[in-house]
Amino acid sequence: MSQFNDAQNAPLESRLMTTGVERLALLGRHSETLMKGYVSDDVPLEGLSSNALRRLFAARIVWRPDEQGGVKLTPKMRELIAEMVADESRRQVNADVADTLEQVRTQVASYRESSQLGDYWQQEQQLLRLRQTVDDLNGRFADAIDSLWQRLNSDFGFVSRLNDKVRENERAQKQVVRLLDGLALIDFDELIDLVGNDGTLRKLLISQLQQQLSQHFTSLREVQSRLTELMARFRRMQARSRLVSGMAAFLREHPGFTPGNYARRSEVPELCNHAAPLRPAGAAALDHHQDVSLLGALLKDLPSVTRPVEATAAASPALIAESAMVAARQQALKEDVEAFYLHVVDSSANEPLSALAYLQASELTWPEEIWLFQVIAEYQGLPRQEQGAFQWLPEESPAGVYNDVRLIHDVALRFEGVA
Amino acid sequence: MSENNHPNMLSHGPLLERLLAGEFVCAVSDESAFRQLQDETLREALDDYLRPLNRRLATNQDASVYFLAWRQVDDAAREQLSRQLNDTVNHLLPLLEWLQLVQEALGRDGVLAPGDVLKPGELQARSEDNPSLRERIERLATDSFFGSQSEQLDAQVKQVFKRLKEHGYLLQPHSDRQVYLVTGKIDYLIDWVRFIRDEEQLPIDREDEARQEALL
Repeated sequence: MSQFNDAQNAPLESRLMTTGVERLALLGRHSETLMKGYVSDDVPLEGLSSNALRRLFAARIVWRPDEQGGVKLTPKMRELIAEMVADESRRQVNADVADTLEQVRTQVASYRESSQLGDYWQQEQQLLRLRQTVDDLNGRFADAIDSLWQRLNSDFGFVSRLNDKVRENERAQKQVVRLLDGLALIDFDELIDLVGNDGTLRKLLISQLQQQLSQHFTSLREVQSRLTELMARFRRMQARSRLVSGMAAFLREHPGFTPGNYARRSEVPELCNHAAPLRPAGAAALDHHQDVSLLGALLKDLPSVTRPVEATAAASPALIAESAMVAARQQALKEDVEAFYLHVVDSSANEPLSALAYLQASELTWPEEIWLFQVIAEYQGLPRQEQGAFQWLPEESPAGVYNDVRLIHDVALRFEGVA
Repeated sequence: MSENNHPNMLSHGPLLERLLAGEFVCAVSDESAFRQLQDETLREALDDYLRPLNRRLATNQDASVYFLAWRQVDDAAREQLSRQLNDTVNHLLPLLEWLQLVQEALGRDGVLAPGDVLKPGELQARSEDNPSLRERIERLATDSFFGSQSEQLDAQVKQVFKRLKEHGYLLQPHSDRQVYLVTGKIDYLIDWVRFIRDEEQLPIDREDEARQEALL
């Protein structure tokens, strides 16, 4: 099977290569715009054609957290840039929620400090960082959920073997649990205390975040139940495959295997009880007055059979009657001879019974020669074993001295019983 | 009488006829009939109708196929069922081997399931450059169950599909197109395999199923 997979992977790889090169080039082409998106809140859309923007979305370089909001760098992109420029303040060392929450707490503290000091520029910067942290948190969930849906919708099509799918599914389920655990860490009571009565922070950390996270929670639950469902299906498929290959292997190893006759059980198992087919048949009937005209019409509609003229001429009625008569007489003769044999069988006499004597004693009118001929034919038509049940005594004489032709004058039979 | 609940008994004539002819009715072979059979009152009405014919409506464990069973299993019925059982057991290995072959040749995740689409041409194309597959098809096609006399791959594949169609495992929606659908009778076959395994306590892996039950 592996050669199929290899053959399928080759175009995939080259496609991946082309797409990757194309998308990496996007970074260079739009580097200035993207860096502006990194240092500020949104990616500035001026100077970006709709086509270019579409490509940036497709490459997951930018995303739009909600319909009204601006276009932002994706968390991964932000992380990448942070890694590249070694921006330690923003470097996502640990992707877990606990760390992000810690970050939020610190940033809120700095923001308050700047606010108390009246350092508005610093305050603005801190707010920007905080907003990005919240966006990143939101983005990470959105990304993870998106990735889970992608996997689900393709039935884990990126791996070809069922066992791999089962493993991938297990991994995805663990991811869901981790994400749900992460969501559970976010304590809104704590956040409410944290923001106090600052309207901007409240909007950012409470109303906006809460709405987004509750959406993520719903999605994750949905993903989780779908994953479980799919897993059950995978397991059923696995069980079916094993059952088929297991039974096939067993039958190959035991060619003479015969299971019990379940049909002989007092309680026939439901599965075995498949009744014999019954095909309802019908024939044309003329006992319903209303059907007569219908049948007449059908008869008229029958395609007329054209017979060759000669055939009609040749089929003289006299001949048919005669051949029917011959057949009837032949049948009568056969039946009379059979009666003779039965008589022999039934007869308790020890003496052989003569065929001619029987003919004369009965009221049958068959010519002697024809009678004898049929008696002999009947005898020869019997299976060998049944022939042995009769003692066969022909009365015959040589036809002449020059050859071995013998004339049969009569036949006598005695029933000896079956050996 | 239940007929009163189902004044349209007349409209079920074709379904009754199919069932009486020994066919298996599933969502693939007759979707609308199968849907109607989900209705318990109809099932009861059909049973009442079938009573004088000593038959009743039966189904498999998952209720994915319907067929007719003897109502009273008398001696003649036992005789017929024994013969049928014998046939089923004799056909089992070629059918299972065919299932394995299709699964492997087409690189499928699992055993064929009702509704799956099969194209003889695809199987043939996959086998043409694969001597081992080619050989397995040949061996299978010349098995007495499939009964191919030909030495040509295409004729062998065709014969195999023809026999599977005759036995109700496949359905050919358009007689002029070489596209087949797997019917619910395949479920019935798998049920059989499971049944024989359990009844005869055959040493065939059942761990997965136990795990699956636990999971659900």
